Amino acid sequence: MPTSTTDVTTAAAADDPATGLRAIRALRELADRLEARQVANARSRGWSWQQIAEALGVTRQAAHKKHARSRKDD
Amino acid sequence: MFERFTDEARQVVVRAQEEARHLRADQIEPVHLLLAIAGGDGRGGDTLRAAGIDHGRLRSTVASSTDELDAEALAAFGVDLEQVRAAAEATFGPGALDPPGTSGHLRFADGSKRSLEQALRHVLARRGLARRSRAIDSGCVLVGVLAVEDPVVVRVLRELGADPAALRDEAGHAA
Repeated sequence: MPTSTTDVTTAAAADDPATGLRAIRALRELADRLEARQVANARSRGWSWQQIAEALGVTRQAAHKKHARSRKDD
Repeated sequence: MFERFTDEARQVVVRAQEEARHLRADQIEPVHLLLAIAGGDGRGGDTLRAAGIDHGRLRSTVASSTDELDAEALAAFGVDLEQVRAAAEATFGPGALDPPGTSGHLRFADGSKRSLEQALRHVLARRGLARRSRAIDSGCVLVGVLAVEDPVVVRVLRELGADPAALRDEAGHAA
């Protein structure tokens, strides 16, 4: 597995699916966790689901479904 | 359905939640049931130990295979996980990159619900036995966990050199 940043392009466009897919999964997991924090922060500052959805580029229903479950506020 | 569970099997269910929380999972997965079985002194734990699987080895294998964020794969993209973590924690406090919803009551994942159903089915399929012996012990829960062929369970067992199908036969027959 590549471990140094010089391997950026090899991972992003890795020929070996195992390497490429593992890298994608890691990025997605990281993005999901950061998204959860950011959405919680936005909600606590009074953002509506509509505003959050627009910022994320998804539908209001999608944003609500993904995040409301783990939140008390809705 | 828990009225059929022996005390020892109920303890497995309780400990599965603790295992899930310890590993910062957001649901109780079949692998957490497996860990709870391995940590007990009932028939299920005995079957696992006989196959060379003890709780300590199992837990470290699970921790390394389901663990956290994949720093190595992220580094390949030029993403330094520790930098991201430091930035996130500076804003949101310690544990900012932990999975959401890890506090409070954890729910059973579908695979775990199916495992418990399979444990019940396994016991009910034993015809001819006295009603009293048709209780669900940790061995039956082990059969249930192995019956659903959860990919994480299968992988960690193989990593520890065990054959999930053989284990399932072992636990099923030993009763």
